[in-house]
Amino acid sequence: MATGRPNYKLLVGGLLLVVPFVILLAVSFGRDPRATPDALNGQPAPAFDLIDMDGNPVSLADFQGKPVVMNFWSTWCGPCKIEHPLLLEAPSHFPNVVFLGVVYQDDAAKARVYLDRAGSAYPHLVDPAGRLAVDYGVTGVPETYFIDAEGNIAYKHKGALSPGVLYEHLGQP
Amino acid sequence: MISTIFADLHILGPMGRGLVLLALLFSSVGFGAGLAGGFLKSAEATRIARWCALAFAATAIWANFVMIGALVSDDFSVGYVAEVGSIATPLYFKIPSLWASLSGSILFWAGVLGVYVALYARKARPKHAETQPWTLAALLATSVFFTALVASVADPFHAVFPVPLDGPGPNPLLQNHWLMAIHPPMLYLGYVGMSVPFSMAIGSLCAGRLEAGWLAPLRRWLIVPWLFLTIGIMLGGWWSYGVLGWGGYWAWDPVENASFHPWLTATAALHSAMVTERKGLLKTWTLVLIITSFLLTLFGTFLTRSGVFNSVHSFTQSDIGPVFLLAIAVIFVGTVVLLALRDHKLKTGRGFAKQVGGMKLLSRETSILAQNLLFTVFTATVLLGTVFPLLAEAVNGDKLSVGAPYFDRIALPIGVMLVALMGVGPALPWGEMNPQRALRRFVGPVVGGAVLTLAAAIGGFTGPVSLLAMFVCGFALVSNLGEYATPVMARMRVKKERLDVAARRAFIRGRRRYGGHIAHLGIVIAVMAIALSKGYRTTADLTLREGQTAQVEGYDITFTGADLIELEYMESLTANFAVTRNGQDYGTYSPAMNFYPRQREPIGSPAVRSTPAEDLYLSLVQVQPDGEWAAVRVLVMPAVWWLWATLPIFALSALLILWPAKKRKTAAELMAEAA
Repeated sequence: MATGRPNYKLLVGGLLLVVPFVILLAVSFGRDPRATPDALNGQPAPAFDLIDMDGNPVSLADFQGKPVVMNFWSTWCGPCKIEHPLLLEAPSHFPNVVFLGVVYQDDAAKARVYLDRAGSAYPHLVDPAGRLAVDYGVTGVPETYFIDAEGNIAYKHKGALSPGVLYEHLGQP
Repeated sequence: MISTIFADLHILGPMGRGLVLLALLFSSVGFGAGLAGGFLKSAEATRIARWCALAFAATAIWANFVMIGALVSDDFSVGYVAEVGSIATPLYFKIPSLWASLSGSILFWAGVLGVYVALYARKARPKHAETQPWTLAALLATSVFFTALVASVADPFHAVFPVPLDGPGPNPLLQNHWLMAIHPPMLYLGYVGMSVPFSMAIGSLCAGRLEAGWLAPLRRWLIVPWLFLTIGIMLGGWWSYGVLGWGGYWAWDPVENASFHPWLTATAALHSAMVTERKGLLKTWTLVLIITSFLLTLFGTFLTRSGVFNSVHSFTQSDIGPVFLLAIAVIFVGTVVLLALRDHKLKTGRGFAKQVGGMKLLSRETSILAQNLLFTVFTATVLLGTVFPLLAEAVNGDKLSVGAPYFDRIALPIGVMLVALMGVGPALPWGEMNPQRALRRFVGPVVGGAVLTLAAAIGGFTGPVSLLAMFVCGFALVSNLGEYATPVMARMRVKKERLDVAARRAFIRGRRRYGGHIAHLGIVIAVMAIALSKGYRTTADLTLREGQTAQVEGYDITFTGADLIELEYMESLTANFAVTRNGQDYGTYSPAMNFYPRQREPIGSPAVRSTPAEDLYLSLVQVQPDGEWAAVRVLVMPAVWWLWATLPIFALSALLILWPAKKRKTAAELMAEAA
């Protein structure tokens, strides 16, 4: 500018661009970008007829009237090993709840070796071709689905379970 | 091993921390000295600032080497090593672990900044005596900020007690490909390097003058990070292609976009700086672009480090976010205020509108102006798409994402126009050209465009968009070749030199200019590769039983079985496919799924057969460990190879520009020698 004084147009224009931008960042700060709404919440849980590791047929229909906790896991997954002791304990604390494990993207024989060593308190299903995981929209392991007594998906938990999560969704025993 | 001895003594943590504190001290004192040098016009204070800059650089770089030593020697008493290290990690993944997680990457940032600060302090010439102290102050202010982060909220050297026996290992995505050893450093060299031209711009604003001969070094300081950014972005694409298994190289992921924003504005700045240099026009505009480029790199860093976006790049949320946000607010608002208050001191001449009004239509400056406007629109639309999910969530709580179709729709027309301008600009002279002569100059490029279009059509690429892209690419290619040829022909004509002599001398005299032109060549080739590979891809999802064969685009693909490879830090499940075409054996390709204990889902590792004509890309979806069957996604795409082939071109361009010039002896030195 030849005028020899501060460029107020630039000042106002620049601030109008920059200030809302910074405010937007500040407002967005702390959002959880991974929190996506779960389309299946409140929907009937997809039905299945599978064989567990001992060769027994297991069907979701068998458990009608009872809440079900379905845990997808694998032997290569670290957090699954972290939550395993909790899942060993849980069935004795919640006797009215059905617990099921589903082996995800893993070899059944390896899963068996792991369970023989680490212990198991409930049936584990083999999910050939991962169809059950697709039906439930599993994004990774561990992932746990809480299915209510009416057979609807009440909640899906991503990552390792904690006692707090179990109490929150199954009530105090 | 000396480093092992240090590790056993657990001395590396305190040593690193001491170096970081020293770096903080030097940068703070240097910042103060720079300000004093600027305000008091004191050469002595400026000299102190320069020394402090060098001392900051030495300590910051040294601290990085200490961290590398700690990572290599598995010194788990150092907090960062306990966080990302593990004994089982191979050595060649231990060193890149430096940038595998938050605090290490900020330390690395400070180290790269140290390299740039040292180079600037060494190169800073006495002739920019008025702006130099301010520039040093601005550079060192940036250094203070990053070093302070490393010393406080992102301290990688904090002591861990009791010392763990082993650690979890770095992020699996970093352990999956050798490119992770070079993609991040290149990007950092690009990002951090923007702080030098930014500081130079701030320096001239504070000093209230653009000194003579200021623009040539500024352009050089700008093109260096620009080239690194270009290479870093290309390598990122390559990594994404080679590791993520979706068959693409650019997903318009928020963090990818964050690296693209400053690239766009810096490209615009490189060109507008030429107009400023030649015609004295667009001074303020050039400064705005340079400053914006740096601000956008900060924004990009904030995105990766704050956890605002979900991306392959994002780290978990941390304490660093609020501090960074505050810094961004201060720097963004501060630079706008500084620019507005000091702009008139720069004697920028008439207002923007009048400057533009005075340009002739058929001139290089007008073509650059048009290019600048396109780049600005490009930046604004990509930026809008990137932050739109934040905006929507802030306004009405909607969770949405802006997908690739939006960005592709913008990128296509703007990209075509930009490449066309790459052909128009070099053909036009500075100043003015009469229309008839201008038309004659376009004959060659138009023929080039037509030839390439025809060649593409014969090659089977008959879609209108690809043909248009090929036309502008051929047009730009020939026009730029003219830029190489013109000085050579001029020498042959005027100085009567032979072709080879003229070519050699023209090259030596204009080495840096040629470096720039070669970058143009790289861009044109990249655009061609993108246009063809995006326009002509075949995708097939196959599920094959063992021994079964399927045919995709003439390739016969046979599933021959699966292997489980158990390594100490991961398990890899591979499926083997024998590939033949027209009876010719292409060998076995083994895409894999890698299982890392820390990862919630397996990471694919595609197998690619890459040739200049086309790529065959196999990405494993699922495989039975007993090898009974495998599901695989097969993609066949032309020309992707050429995208990676531009990397040596950009590297050559960088080398030509950076290679130090032979020192010409000054008159004083010559006289001293004679005496």
